[in-house]
Amino acid sequence: MADVIFLERRGVPSAAICTDALQASANAMAALHGAPGYRYAIVPHPVSSLDADGLRAHAELAAPQVLEILRGPGAGGEPGRHS
Amino acid sequence: MAVDEARDEPPVDLDPLLQAIEHCYEQGWTDGLPVVPPTPELVERFLSATDRDPDEILANISQFRRVATVRQIAVCAAMAGCRPEYLPVVLAAFEAVIDEGWPEAGAWQSTTGGGPLLIVNGPVRTELGFNSRGNVFGPGFRANATVGRTMRLVIIDVFGVSPHELDQSTQGNPGKYSLCIAENEEESPWEPLHVELGGSSDESAVSALHTRGIDFIDNRQTADAHHILNDIGDSIARTGTILRAEKRIAVIIGPEHAQLLATQGMTKRDVKEYLVENAVRRLGDLRRTGKDGVRPTPSNAPVSTGSMHGWAQPSGSAEDDPGWDRRVGVLRSPDDVLVVVAGAPNAGVSAVAQPLGFPPRFPGHSVVRPKRRPPGEPA
Repeated sequence: MADVIFLERRGVPSAAICTDALQASANAMAALHGAPGYRYAIVPHPVSSLDADGLRAHAELAAPQVLEILRGPGAGGEPGRHS
Repeated sequence: MAVDEARDEPPVDLDPLLQAIEHCYEQGWTDGLPVVPPTPELVERFLSATDRDPDEILANISQFRRVATVRQIAVCAAMAGCRPEYLPVVLAAFEAVIDEGWPEAGAWQSTTGGGPLLIVNGPVRTELGFNSRGNVFGPGFRANATVGRTMRLVIIDVFGVSPHELDQSTQGNPGKYSLCIAENEEESPWEPLHVELGGSSDESAVSALHTRGIDFIDNRQTADAHHILNDIGDSIARTGTILRAEKRIAVIIGPEHAQLLATQGMTKRDVKEYLVENAVRRLGDLRRTGKDGVRPTPSNAPVSTGSMHGWAQPSGSAEDDPGWDRRVGVLRSPDDVLVVVAGAPNAGVSAVAQPLGFPPRFPGHSVVRPKRRPPGEPA
């Protein structure tokens, strides 16, 4: 989470993907870096034990969320800073 | 004085102290146990035990946007219940924890839930009362308990890594409260750890290793060195601890085992080499647990995280594959084995400390810098 916030601060449009089991620490890290409510893509836990089909299904869940985050909330909006 | 005699003592108004302890809880400053309220006067007593500048920065970890200064470490040492004269050891311990390389690589936030194991060597053990003998991993010794505890309070209070927030530990482990031992140099047949690492026997040092758990090896029914080392090797190679193709390991050998090994001619190096050859699993055991394959990591993976060592994963081979009986070693080199002697020489008991991942530096290490000037003399 810190990495994508660092990247955005350098002007690189970024999106994080996080499992639902790790949201508490993701939110804490975003708040620590001055971005409370930072939006990221959420996929179900777990990931590490998935086979190729399971990973593909997760990617299909994540992709539209990532695109929406990268496009931002609308004209003039800061990418990823939905609250 | 027995607890039931306390009622005969003159009454003391403890309310302000109890309120201060509760205040520390309310601020989220504790590990769940009460802390000593760190009054400015108490912290100054700690700072007077070192020559180091209170504002000296000992660590700067960007992902937390926090630094740790000598003063902040002193505050945590006071809260943990240390005596002021422990501070030079506490500072060395913290430097050793940072030196291992894990904190900046994210270990304190990890689901793996490791905490630093501290190993104290040198004259400071006896000067300050560190326990190296019976119950070395257990309770009862202020220096061990409070120096180890200080590391956790620094992680929580200085860096803000609290459970259910930045600390994502799935289960954690009891060593995260406090895990500090001293080496039993007097009853070890081998040179102490800090001398092996290049130090002098008349200086003191702290070594650190983020550890996920301590497993005991109870083997008191044989006097054969190979029986004992094979038993230790079995614990090193327990399948549940295998995440990567290779691992590093700390072996805390009880004095009885150590003396038995030395009597049969084994040096510390011999012990390490034997364990590299004999900390093995059969390939079939790894197949049964889905760990017989290795997923290589990209060649550009950061060495600092140890992630160049491939992850164990299922190979997809059948369990009745004819290669199932092949021995697979889990240790790469004798340099990946740490041997420390600790405990009482009263039974054939040893332990292995399973580290977090593949430690970037092994072990983290720092020399204790004692105060040069007498107390009260200005810096």
